[in-house]
Amino acid sequence: MKAKLFSAYVPQPATLVATERLSDFVTLFRFVRDDGRHLAHKPGQFIVLSAYGVGEAPFSISSAPSRDTTEFELAVRKIGTMTTAMHNLRVGDKVGIRGPYGSFFPVQDFVGKDTLFVAGGLGYIPLRSLLHYQLKHRQEFGRIIVLVGCRNPQERIFIDQIEELSRRGDVEIQETVDCPDQDWKGNVGVITTLLPKVAIDPDVTNVAMVGPPVMYRFVLAECVKMGIDPGRIYVSLERKMKCGLGKCGHCQINHLNACVDGPVFRYTDIAALPEAI
Amino acid sequence: MSAYTVYADQLPGLLARWNGKYAVYAPKDIGEGIYDFRPWRQGDEIAWDYDLAYNSLKRFLIPPKEPLISYDLSRCTAEPIFEAPAQLLFGVHPYDLRAITQLDQLMESGAPDNYYLRRREQTMIMALEPLRVAEGSFWGSVGAERVDVGFDLYWTKLGPSSFLVEVGTQRGEELLLDGGDLAQATPGEREAARRAKGRILSKARKGMAFDWREIPKLLGKAWDSPLWEQRSELCLACGSCNMVCPTCYCFDIREEVDDSLQGGVRYRVWDSCMLHSFAAVAGNHNFRRKALERYRHRTYRKGKYIFDRLGELGCVGCGRCVRACTAGIANPLRTFNDLWEAARNEG
Repeated sequence: MKAKLFSAYVPQPATLVATERLSDFVTLFRFVRDDGRHLAHKPGQFIVLSAYGVGEAPFSISSAPSRDTTEFELAVRKIGTMTTAMHNLRVGDKVGIRGPYGSFFPVQDFVGKDTLFVAGGLGYIPLRSLLHYQLKHRQEFGRIIVLVGCRNPQERIFIDQIEELSRRGDVEIQETVDCPDQDWKGNVGVITTLLPKVAIDPDVTNVAMVGPPVMYRFVLAECVKMGIDPGRIYVSLERKMKCGLGKCGHCQINHLNACVDGPVFRYTDIAALPEAI
Repeated sequence: MSAYTVYADQLPGLLARWNGKYAVYAPKDIGEGIYDFRPWRQGDEIAWDYDLAYNSLKRFLIPPKEPLISYDLSRCTAEPIFEAPAQLLFGVHPYDLRAITQLDQLMESGAPDNYYLRRREQTMIMALEPLRVAEGSFWGSVGAERVDVGFDLYWTKLGPSSFLVEVGTQRGEELLLDGGDLAQATPGEREAARRAKGRILSKARKGMAFDWREIPKLLGKAWDSPLWEQRSELCLACGSCNMVCPTCYCFDIREEVDDSLQGGVRYRVWDSCMLHSFAAVAGNHNFRRKALERYRHRTYRKGKYIFDRLGELGCVGCGRCVRACTAGIANPLRTFNDLWEAARNEG
């Protein structure tokens, strides 16, 4: 064993180039790497972002991989010290990034098939990377069905973009909220209530699903009941991650590390793991 | 494997010579039946018959707090920090060496941990055949009694005045012959060393009610055992079992800004899967909220997950956790035996 003096913990500098408020708590951050290179991520991957002096935290990449721009997007909910520090950043400020890390939605497996996106709450953020990739290469994919669920209308994110998508004609979008307010005209109920509303063909449909832990068990059971092969259901699982390199132990799901074996898993690969779902 | 005979009166000279090149650590009696590895100084007595070092030796390869990078706040740039002093661990028992070779494999696989690997490269290891077995140790019954790799030299005390020293690596042999030529070991001395190993093994093979190779299979069926709840009810979630364990290496990453507010250091510190916050994420969700989930995870990591990767248990039977656990529930031997008993009763 000959150790090279290379540290995987040294972040690369990146600069904040734009922000956009998505909801009361969620902001979209647009960064570029200072070396001018593409992030070269795949849909579903994450980076570990450093706000020096505060710390590091993992974030899903929300933008689609693209050779047209060196910008990449993170959508972040202000919930702790790191994310508050991010919300205090101003355009032009620098951060450090490590990654991209982790497994991804295997785009080739979706080619020629219909895709059912199931996004619970902030789950829309990592799914957006795959969704926008498919929209960029629209002719390669079949039906695109997007189900979005939120606790309440105030927590909806990317509202304008979602409305724009629903006007395109080639994307089927359904939204629901658990707790409506007076203005809400749409569906009310948990996200599984949307499934009967989309007539999918289970034989040609792949599922990409990201949401809060409680969502998976119910939606997965529904999908299997609808006849979708568990081998074509992809989930991204959130866990605590520190190193992103499969070493620190925090993100273990039974014997797997969510940071290197995941975060995107085929349902068949985790169905037997009691800690996964 | 070549082997030499070293006489007790040759040893202080050798140690003094090595101490010039390395920070030498050796087992020492620190009172009240407690032994630990301490810096060796000229004239120090080595505790040849130590039964167990109080702290595990992982601290020499993954320090409790280890800097990873330093950063500049104004420029937002970072540089790696690699600290790896040349060190020599003299008197490492086989089970502790087994733990180190396990860390070697885990740290080298996947994304190599260059911090660990660099320290390991700078560390000479001289193993020592144990003369006594600590109460609570059961390394002889979990396959950790023997090591074939990982040491530079392997010492066996043959009597009051002589040692058989087997060569593990070329750099070990060079170090041994640094003070001048030594006599090759005779067949009789090799036989005496073999008998010494046999004697200690007969004392170290204790406690396990079944073959340790069955443990992963046993755990494969024990996920819903009532034992996890019963035992973990007493868990104080203090993390002591993880801290003293020679194969636990989970860590947290933290940082500190320096006094000038111009820069800072990001470092890693030992962490513990038994702590309540270990698997907690933002939004008040905890993937192992219950003590039983954390207790079970620790056992599975020792008894199954590591085995499935490396073919050996993640528990080397040193028994440090047995001694460290104030609630008296950490003993893996007892857990495995009780699960075995329960499985037998279920038929």
